[in-house]
Amino acid sequence: MKIAVCVKHAVDESELKIDPSGKPLLEGAASKMGTFDKNAVEEALRVKASAGGEVVAVTVGRADARKSLKEALAMGADRGVHVLAELGALDPPKTAGLLAAALAKTGPYDIVLCSEGSSDTYTGLVPPMVAERLGVPYVGYARKLELAGRALKAERSLEESLESVESPLPAVVSVVSEINEPRYPTLIQIMQASKKPVEELRPEQLAAGDAAPPTAVLSMAAQPQNRKHVMIEGTPDEAASKLLDALVKEGVLQP
Amino acid sequence: MPLFSAEHRFLLKSFYPSAHEEYSELLGSLGAFMEKELAPMSEKFDAGREAIAPYRRKLLEGGFCQIPFPEKYGGLGLPFAVYANAIELLGAADASIALSVEIHNAVAEGVFRFGSEEQRSKLLPALTSGKRLASFALTESASGSDARNVRTVARLSGGEYLINGSKTFITNAGEADLYMVFARTEKGPSCFLVDAPNPGIRLGAHMAKLGMRGSKTSEVTFEDCRVPRQNLVGVEGQGIDYATQILHGARIIVAALNVGIATLAYGKAVAYARQRSAFGKPISEFQLTREKVADMKTGINAGRLMYLYASLLKESGADFSSEAAQAKVFATEMSLKVCDAAIQVYGGYGYTTDEVHRPWRDARLLTIGEGTSEVLRLLIASRELAKAA
Repeated sequence: MKIAVCVKHAVDESELKIDPSGKPLLEGAASKMGTFDKNAVEEALRVKASAGGEVVAVTVGRADARKSLKEALAMGADRGVHVLAELGALDPPKTAGLLAAALAKTGPYDIVLCSEGSSDTYTGLVPPMVAERLGVPYVGYARKLELAGRALKAERSLEESLESVESPLPAVVSVVSEINEPRYPTLIQIMQASKKPVEELRPEQLAAGDAAPPTAVLSMAAQPQNRKHVMIEGTPDEAASKLLDALVKEGVLQP
Repeated sequence: MPLFSAEHRFLLKSFYPSAHEEYSELLGSLGAFMEKELAPMSEKFDAGREAIAPYRRKLLEGGFCQIPFPEKYGGLGLPFAVYANAIELLGAADASIALSVEIHNAVAEGVFRFGSEEQRSKLLPALTSGKRLASFALTESASGSDARNVRTVARLSGGEYLINGSKTFITNAGEADLYMVFARTEKGPSCFLVDAPNPGIRLGAHMAKLGMRGSKTSEVTFEDCRVPRQNLVGVEGQGIDYATQILHGARIIVAALNVGIATLAYGKAVAYARQRSAFGKPISEFQLTREKVADMKTGINAGRLMYLYASLLKESGADFSSEAAQAKVFATEMSLKVCDAAIQVYGGYGYTTDEVHRPWRDARLLTIGEGTSEVLRLLIASRELAKAA
């Protein structure tokens, strides 16, 4: 089984600073592997553990994206593919084009795993675009994945329902974070990860097309969340009725 | 702020210009693990609602204790300062686990430095990977600081030693698979490795402690405890010298642990001071709160630089005993002050909220354990006066 897992070196949202005008300070911000991408790597390793084969971690990004690739290698991926490219602020078609071309060049793969979305921009657009470019089925938002021969069974986590689907392989699967608990690499695995092979590709080596982005980012701003911090005091009975009054007054509950 | 912060990264970069990226990566990964898996459990460990053992095991299986040992013995061959920095992060995540691990790894260091080749190759991989847990049994009810007065005896009988005596305040007691025991032979205090379980080991009740409640502490009594002759460490009669040298290194680690505890208390106090209002403004606007913030942060940074300095001296092979003692005296007293100030910033809530008074209770041990501040000041003064002579 040849397994690919796509990872993004994303802005670390937990350390992101916002300037007084509400603009996120993306230049020089701390970065890390996308939070949910770890679930995709974990699932790839689990597929390998049950079906055998090889896990290849693939990323598109600047030189520092190598860090995320290395993290995937520390977790247990066998080798890496790094498409060295400068990406615009928000250009999923370009990312998907480069990823698909890199997967085609270094593949073919039986299964391509992605996360539901990156933890910074979270468009969730890249996985279906990659599937479309590769011409294979796409199974999105899997919270359970099983392989049986040349087919897969997945449980998709949709907003209000679960959906069980089957698909032939090869396929692209995006996973949600509840699918597994990503492992922590041991320190020795982290140290040895730098010895695993990483293939570097440049966009000009990949026939990925060079279309202008279909969208343009006009502005980006943090969404302020103002909380009221109302303290309700009294005995449980008194507090409950005060809470009820407060919720009605706020329009949360109808009297 | 993450446990492994930009401040740590900057210091590593300054001290290890060519290797800092790898060290930062390792410590960043450890910090993320501790933040997610250990720190949220601290309250439960403290209240006795959850045992630290499975969490400590997971940490050790990840390679925490392998950091300072050579690859030949299953270690990672990294600088002592990196290990000290890791302990600082652990002290901030959970001080009880940090204390337990610190003592465990001090025994490993003892085996590495004074053990035979056979003892090293047999024990170190098991100890540093967490397959076995170690405990350090030196203190007795009548001899703490004056360890030379050890009364526990080891008598050679046939091919083995018979150990008799009682040790107290023993961390990891009952959980350990291996005790490093100091006992007197005809030639003087000597060092032994005692495997557990052993029918000759009797454990006292767990001691109720002010802090560090997640770690287990009790009396350990040896009654005709049979130990194979080859479990003697080094040379008979040299035990106190070995213990002293092990403790010099351990003091750097205790200093780092206290910087961690102080960082935890500081972080809480600052966050609270910014959001708590009095007289119509956040209390962080008041000068007397600001003085506390300034003193806390200054102390933490000084403590961190002191333990790193002592670590670098140790790595260089120079005598670091005075600097290790200085780091320990300063960092433990500093951390107690920082934790106390954090309670003060919280006011009444500081006295009544576990997560605010726990760091103070944990820190309180370490101006006593592993060399009291008083004895260490004597050590520092005698070393420094000798240098001036």
